[in-house]
Amino acid sequence: MNTLGTPIRAGLQRGAIEFRNSLQNPADLGYYVVGNIIFVIVILLNRNEMIDEIGMSVPRMIFPGVLAMILVFVAAYGLATVIATEREDGTLLRAKSLPGGMTGYVWGQIARTSLELAFSLGILIVAGTVLIAGLWEGGILSVASVLALSLIGLLACVPIGFVLGSVFKNPRSLGGWGFIVLGGLIWISGLFMPLIAMPEWVQALGQVFPLYWLGLGMRAAMLPDSAVAIELAGDWRVVETFAVLGVWAVVGLLLAPVLLRRMARRESGSAVEARRHAVMQKVG
Amino acid sequence: MAATTEHPRSVISVEGLRMAYGSKEVLRNVSFTLGEGEVVALLGPNGAGKTTTIEILEGFRARSAGEVSVLGSDPITADERWRGRIGVVLQSWRDHARWRVRELLAQFGRYYAPYSEADRPRPYPVDELLALVGLTEVAGQRVRSLSGGQRRRLDVAIGIVGRPELLFLDEPTVGFDPVARRDFHDVIHRLADLEGTSILLTTHDLSEAERLADRILILNGGEIVANGSAEQLARDAAGTTEVRWTRAGHRHVHSTADGTAFARDLFTQYGDEIADLEIRRSSLEDTYLAMVTAGLSTEPSLEQPTIEQTENAR
Repeated sequence: MNTLGTPIRAGLQRGAIEFRNSLQNPADLGYYVVGNIIFVIVILLNRNEMIDEIGMSVPRMIFPGVLAMILVFVAAYGLATVIATEREDGTLLRAKSLPGGMTGYVWGQIARTSLELAFSLGILIVAGTVLIAGLWEGGILSVASVLALSLIGLLACVPIGFVLGSVFKNPRSLGGWGFIVLGGLIWISGLFMPLIAMPEWVQALGQVFPLYWLGLGMRAAMLPDSAVAIELAGDWRVVETFAVLGVWAVVGLLLAPVLLRRMARRESGSAVEARRHAVMQKVG
Repeated sequence: MAATTEHPRSVISVEGLRMAYGSKEVLRNVSFTLGEGEVVALLGPNGAGKTTTIEILEGFRARSAGEVSVLGSDPITADERWRGRIGVVLQSWRDHARWRVRELLAQFGRYYAPYSEADRPRPYPVDELLALVGLTEVAGQRVRSLSGGQRRRLDVAIGIVGRPELLFLDEPTVGFDPVARRDFHDVIHRLADLEGTSILLTTHDLSEAERLADRILILNGGEIVANGSAEQLARDAAGTTEVRWTRAGHRHVHSTADGTAFARDLFTQYGDEIADLEIRRSSLEDTYLAMVTAGLSTEPSLEQPTIEQTENAR
């Protein structure tokens, strides 16, 4: 019997079951429905707004940025929140009590996150295709590029999610500070307002994080070449995009196992109990 | 127990175990063994260090000093194969609320398959396990819909899904009604007798310890203050049986090591004059209270480590 293959397969099954459980949960479904209704309303309200410099509608211009944002939101932020929550409720400790349980847990999260991301992006792309004229002008090459970027984006963001989830002590601090940081990140990454219109320090800062590059890559994949006029350096910088995302992926993949092991080592029944006690004291 | 030798192979052996959170010593000098197939209860007041001890043995917590061997390995460096041979039921869980009962057991069982042995096929078949803990009827329900007692039985089922050679149970029956408690005791007896599972459990409930355990350890003030069967402990502590009777309208109380012999003498001497005879061997509860209060008077009881101390100790 295979002592590595078994926990990986069990983990993949675990992720699939968790995704299915999420789809059967009214609160989770409500979240998908509301999120997508907001998206559709924003598109409908702005469908006739034009960006004159490049002769393109606003929805078409920002759609690639929405895909990039959802990617980071699901694969990094969402994953981190799930991990912080599951440390608190004892899921992680349970995994630790099984042989190969931590391996299974990590693969379960990878599987669940991938499925959730495919589902979220899938809904958006279907809605976008119906509502936004000319979205797939670029044909099969556009589609292939979006897929490739989603994959490398996943590879860059999942380790970040693991790192954040193991660093933050509880889901509430992630929900508070994490959300503010994510909002700031979206702003400095030029997803909805071109970075070229921002101060130079914002431009410099934005280009450090993967979100900017994901947005740029998605625009490169989906927009006509004329749109490159409002990009920094006036270029799609495809090589740089893959290079930066690749560096984030490598750094994350090196860091995440170390932090995860450290986090797992610290889990014990009394640690879970102590955290629960702290929560009850805050609430009570 | 299939032990043919006087001293069955030790499954757990602890020697001079010490645990400190910062400057606070929770375990001072704990030594004990647990033999193959033995059921041992760890008793003690809150904050005596029961959970700390069990977490060290489970490999969830690094100790400050001392020798610990569990199934032949040091728990803190033991590998996944070792993990596959033990079962753990911790104090409280609220995880996996969205999962369905059967699905959850099947998922956890998968991890044990590579560690299956001819005489211990792993994992435990899920439907057999559900029947064993009495959850067959709720197999398709989600975990969050279970009652407290059902939830706890699921915890026990998860603890034994890998057919462990050694099972740790931390306060397994808290919140059980009398029927659930009796059913749980049956499960433990089955595991010990039929599967030869060695079991270490912590409990507050003296009658539970008495009913389940071959041997009882009393932990107080960070040390083992008593170690023996319920009967031995009762004898050792008070050392006596209390005899009460009335004769000629006067009540008498006498403490003796052998109540039966004393009563015989009493009747020989006074015959029919003896009335209202009561012979009461000191109970485990008397022993426990005697030991724990003795410990309290000399040694202030150690408190549970605070959250901060727990964090610092990591």
